[in-house]
Amino acid sequence: MLARDRWKLIGWRLLQFVPVIVLATFIVFGLMQLVPGDIAVTLAGESASEARIAELRRLYGLDRPLLVQYGQWLWGAMQGDLGKSMLSGEPVLRSILTRFPTTLQIVLMALSVSLLIGVPMGILAALRPNSRIDAFVTSLASLGVALPNFWLAMLLVSVFALNLGWFPATGAVAFAKDPVASLKAATLPAFALAAGGVAEVARQLRGSLVEVLSSQFVRTLHAKGLPPSAILWRHGLKNVSVNLLTVIGLMFNRLLGATVVIEAVFAIPGVGSMVVASAIQKDFPVIQGVVLAMVLIVITLNLVIDLLYTVVDPRVGRR
Amino acid sequence: MNPMSFPPADDSAEQPVRVTRREMIGLITGAFTAGPSAVALAQGAPRRGGVLKVAAPANPSSLDPATGGAGTDHVFLYTIFDTLIEWEYETLRAKPGLAESWSFTDPRTMVLTLRKGVVFHDGTPFDAAAVKFNLDRARTGQRSNIKADLATVDAVEVTGSHVVTLRLNQPDAALPLILSDRAGMMSSPKAVQALGNDHDRKPVGTGPWRLVNWADGEKVSVTRNDKYWKAGMPYLDGIEMQIIIEVNTGLRSVVAGQNDYVYFLSPQQRAVVDRSKLQSNSGPTLYCIQLYMNYGRAPLNDAKVRRAINQAIDREAFVKATMGGLAEVAWTQLPSAHWAYDKSLVNAWPHDIDAARKLLAEAGHKDGIDLTFLGYTDQRSVQRQEVFMEQLRKAGIRVKWNNGSIADMSARFFRQEGDGLLSAWTGRPDPSLTFSLMYAKNAYFNAGKAEPSFELSAALLASRASTDQEVRKRELGRVMKIISDLSLVAPLCFQLELDAAARKVQGYKPNLLGKPKFENVWLSE
Repeated sequence: MLARDRWKLIGWRLLQFVPVIVLATFIVFGLMQLVPGDIAVTLAGESASEARIAELRRLYGLDRPLLVQYGQWLWGAMQGDLGKSMLSGEPVLRSILTRFPTTLQIVLMALSVSLLIGVPMGILAALRPNSRIDAFVTSLASLGVALPNFWLAMLLVSVFALNLGWFPATGAVAFAKDPVASLKAATLPAFALAAGGVAEVARQLRGSLVEVLSSQFVRTLHAKGLPPSAILWRHGLKNVSVNLLTVIGLMFNRLLGATVVIEAVFAIPGVGSMVVASAIQKDFPVIQGVVLAMVLIVITLNLVIDLLYTVVDPRVGRR
Repeated sequence: MNPMSFPPADDSAEQPVRVTRREMIGLITGAFTAGPSAVALAQGAPRRGGVLKVAAPANPSSLDPATGGAGTDHVFLYTIFDTLIEWEYETLRAKPGLAESWSFTDPRTMVLTLRKGVVFHDGTPFDAAAVKFNLDRARTGQRSNIKADLATVDAVEVTGSHVVTLRLNQPDAALPLILSDRAGMMSSPKAVQALGNDHDRKPVGTGPWRLVNWADGEKVSVTRNDKYWKAGMPYLDGIEMQIIIEVNTGLRSVVAGQNDYVYFLSPQQRAVVDRSKLQSNSGPTLYCIQLYMNYGRAPLNDAKVRRAINQAIDREAFVKATMGGLAEVAWTQLPSAHWAYDKSLVNAWPHDIDAARKLLAEAGHKDGIDLTFLGYTDQRSVQRQEVFMEQLRKAGIRVKWNNGSIADMSARFFRQEGDGLLSAWTGRPDPSLTFSLMYAKNAYFNAGKAEPSFELSAALLASRASTDQEVRKRELGRVMKIISDLSLVAPLCFQLELDAAARKVQGYKPNLLGKPKFENVWLSE
């Protein structure tokens, strides 16, 4: 019964893929038309002339109606052809596939750091609400939310890369090539990204855990004589895990977006820096390709989280 | 005429301005190396070997010289390609490259004699047929971005195994230096034909290094060309150019020791370089920060208003406030180190608020004037705008700024929005090209598409007519005098090249074009 529900959920989500992708890429395509600038001017280079710019527009099909341009891209995308960058001529799919692992590694590391630090902090604060520890955790969390991550990034570089020389100041190394160097290179960016995540995890966890721990069934458990550690681990955390999953899902999406800034600070050749460069120069096939990839990831992740809900809390599936 | 008979650079002339410039540069750069002094400062004999790691501020637009378009490409292209004609680093005078010599047998016929024994990286011999292939592709190829550069060439003929004759539709003395730029970079015909558009990403030239890999937006790697024609060159086994768009990040990567060299730093980064253990390289460049003016329509079609703007500007103060002193004040679009520099135009527009007000009143703007200028949104541009605006305000010239991205605002200005554009001119190897692109009627950078004066058009043509360097210098002086008299532009200052390098980097020479070449670089350890 449960298994059938899950398949229904997956099937339903897969059906949603199509309209969401079309809508998202179309909106982005439309927005790009509103952004001032003309890639043909960029392509024409230093010896630009009106004639050359017009010739380039024709050459790249930029003189066709917008719907035709979008339609052609969509038709190609449906067949797995994301086209080529108008600036560098590099196939978009290849760029995304080579750059995505780098971005994903930083995001996953940032997520891990957020959880590893945020969860204990949240639990500590929840166990002694309104204590000094709680006040400390809460103010630290506020600080984490308030700190701009690019500023923190520069601070981290200044201290740990330039002064102490523990970590590289820029760049990334492929994990498959050299795992140790790879983790080292991704450490500072991951911590810079994680500051906000730590704060969010700690605050959310504290809030929901305090609520659970003060609920009536916990009082009953206490009355039953269950040791506090068992109450926390078996009943408390299990009850807040749905909340935590939601936070993780939202955080993953946000971290993915935040790489745009962090990759610039650390000169990391990931998807974030790629999207910035192509947006500035209106390299439309690249932007569309990245948007498509992002939408796919976000939808897939949400699906996975939804499926996990049914695992950690069987009531969700039955509703 | 034979290039070798060009008179030597007039270095002995100690003009007051020249001294000032040297003093200034001497003051601002501790480990200053420019021109010949760079060689003198290098320790010991050049050592072969090692890989130079460079932080480059932009991804190449293409690695095919004919199809690319960004001024930032040259640094990459120079490693892979040789040019038919090269220039002297200090003055940009033409000198032999892949062409051993050249001459104009008559004003409309240019004959190039090519170097023998040169081969492309793929083994294809470099000969007259290869040159014809490249020049024809640049002139007429659908994807060529440099057709305009070779507009005066009507036909390219192979007149010997290593002799090429160019038939021109008008006298064009700018051609030698045009052939020191993109148009003179020679690609292997075999590779171009075999690869098609892929040659953009897998270029094959004759240069000191050959391409290993271009990871888009990430890294361009080149390795030694063992069959390079310049004896004993290059010194470096290879160069890895890491693309780091943010120059602050690029500089950090050098401070941290991950890279050895970073270029195109801003004057504001001078302090960081000085605090670090790095050496710095700097030198004058053609990069001119200037106000473009739309002189094709009111109110800037009135020379008096344009002159008022120029006289309202305090250039020294502008350089101090916005460039940290790291710039040379500009009166024309050529800096003092250039072979065609004309010192008679120095202080052509003395800073004089009263004179500016008087000029405005004469032009019928007794109560001052309101102008709309276009500009860019980045921090440094905005800072320049603030200083510039304040200087003009004192003379009753009230400026409203309209800001946006570089591509957008430039395009708007050339579509005739706004009265002026505070931007820069990155320079061209030949000065005639600079002036033709900006002041010829219908030139792209002439926003109003108006002919400034018949006299100027004639002078522009004349500046390309003679192949004698001294005659050209005189003719170019005339062009600049007319531009200055008509106040067609408000040049502000020339940016200095500022690079930072690890201590082990030796032998680097800045060049006046301001686009680094690494051919003389070696590593000391």
